[in-house]
Amino acid sequence: MRDVIRVMDVSKSFGEETVLHHISYDFKEGRIYGIVGNNGSGKTVLMKCICGFLIPDSGEITVNYKRIGKDMDFPPDTGIIIETPGFLPNLTGMRNLELLASLRKKIDKKAVAEAIRAVGLDPEMKKPVSKYSLGMRQRLGIAQALMEDPSLLILDEPFNGLDKHGVSQMHELILAQKKKGKTILLSSHSQKDIDVLCDVVCEMDGGVMHCIRDRIEE
Amino acid sequence: MWYKGKMVLSVASYNFLRWHKNARVVTAFLLDFILCYLLTDKAVQFAVERDTTMQIFEAFIWTFGDSNAILLVSLLLLILFADMPFITTATPFYLMRTTRRVWVVGQMVYVALATMLFMVFTLFSTVVLTMQNAFAGNRWSRTAAALAYSGSGKELNLPSAVKAIEMSRPWQSMLWVLVLMLLYTLVMVLVMLLFNIWKGQIAGIAAVISFSCYGLLLNPDNIKKVLHLPDQLSYKARVLVGWISPLNQATFYMHNFGYDKLPTLRQTVAIGLALLAVLLILTICAIRRYAFSFSGTEGK
Repeated sequence: MRDVIRVMDVSKSFGEETVLHHISYDFKEGRIYGIVGNNGSGKTVLMKCICGFLIPDSGEITVNYKRIGKDMDFPPDTGIIIETPGFLPNLTGMRNLELLASLRKKIDKKAVAEAIRAVGLDPEMKKPVSKYSLGMRQRLGIAQALMEDPSLLILDEPFNGLDKHGVSQMHELILAQKKKGKTILLSSHSQKDIDVLCDVVCEMDGGVMHCIRDRIEE
Repeated sequence: MWYKGKMVLSVASYNFLRWHKNARVVTAFLLDFILCYLLTDKAVQFAVERDTTMQIFEAFIWTFGDSNAILLVSLLLLILFADMPFITTATPFYLMRTTRRVWVVGQMVYVALATMLFMVFTLFSTVVLTMQNAFAGNRWSRTAAALAYSGSGKELNLPSAVKAIEMSRPWQSMLWVLVLMLLYTLVMVLVMLLFNIWKGQIAGIAAVISFSCYGLLLNPDNIKKVLHLPDQLSYKARVLVGWISPLNQATFYMHNFGYDKLPTLRQTVAIGLALLAVLLILTICAIRRYAFSFSGTEGK
């Protein structure tokens, strides 16, 4: 199976604090990877390095065999949620996603509406995002990540603020993405999310990452 | 190329969409209007006292022909750009669909357009504040002549220089003052953006304060006072300062209108554009290693 993401001896420090310590790992195509760890263990920093938002002090990351920060700034064909998803508060959810979709022009209005419907929101809703609940914004964030049908998904705490029903709906949606052959990296504090969704679980601790469960190998 | 140009405009327009009901933006424009009222009041009062009319742009030309007024209005822009480099929780969604270069050029386009809008608003404010007692024709008023030839202009800090009146007309002067202010403020905010991206937000603010202080301290009058220069040498100091101080480069009457060694208006524009080009290149270089940290209020 193809290595979609290769993290090679990556280290990252902020001042005196080393957040990532010589991390190496290959993420293979078509699997869901769960990254777990305490707050401040470096999960988000690793994801930000893979996305190209942070540049590692040493080491290299490739996505689809292209080096982040050298061959490209950010991995193309990737959907993300990093930290709390933010939108223009005075516009509707549909209008917000249309603006984002207009950047690459890969999809039309119909596909945007489809993505919004897939996360359980109504694309026709006239309510501005400022009036959305936290859970609705999170759903819109997931719709944003999925709408262009990317082959790689990087989701940092994607279920924050969702109720039980919302979480199980999103679980189904993510498992459906896996069936399409997509590679998914997700971090969550909920053991249930990890158990239900992930093929491989990696734990971050003190800037070091090690694989603690691999259902496929088992 | 065209595709990337549209991406740049989309990134820039995102920032403008954040102006909706934004208290900081409203405050910046409101303070600008109040500042214009306070600064133009001297010129308006002068005209009222002499029972003379004004050309509609004269208040703007005389008010912003003074370096201190330019400095004040440029510092108001800091309120507008206080959240530079404009990173919010929505930024990662834009970044993943563009590149670092497209994103930062989008920010620079936003800064340029917002600065232009702010300067045009400043002009518009002075026009509104003086329009009751003004005419639009392209000729100087009696008020201007009185300010220039009686020496009252200097007393009131309204530098209605004789050379400006004799060598130019109000509409052209207004355009030049606007262009000079625009160049100065653009250089200032791009210095802020560069240092923001290169060394962090505090460095950005420190860079702007240093830039403004550099212009302020290089005022020829200050140098003359500090160094106790005789008249002959103070003229040389004035010419030198006219060249090396960005604030003096932005001051309309501190230019060569054909009979001194100060920079000409065209030379100032060339210097300003060259500086902007250098800042653009340096900012694009700095963004390559910039560490994005996302925060903001949209998600809350």
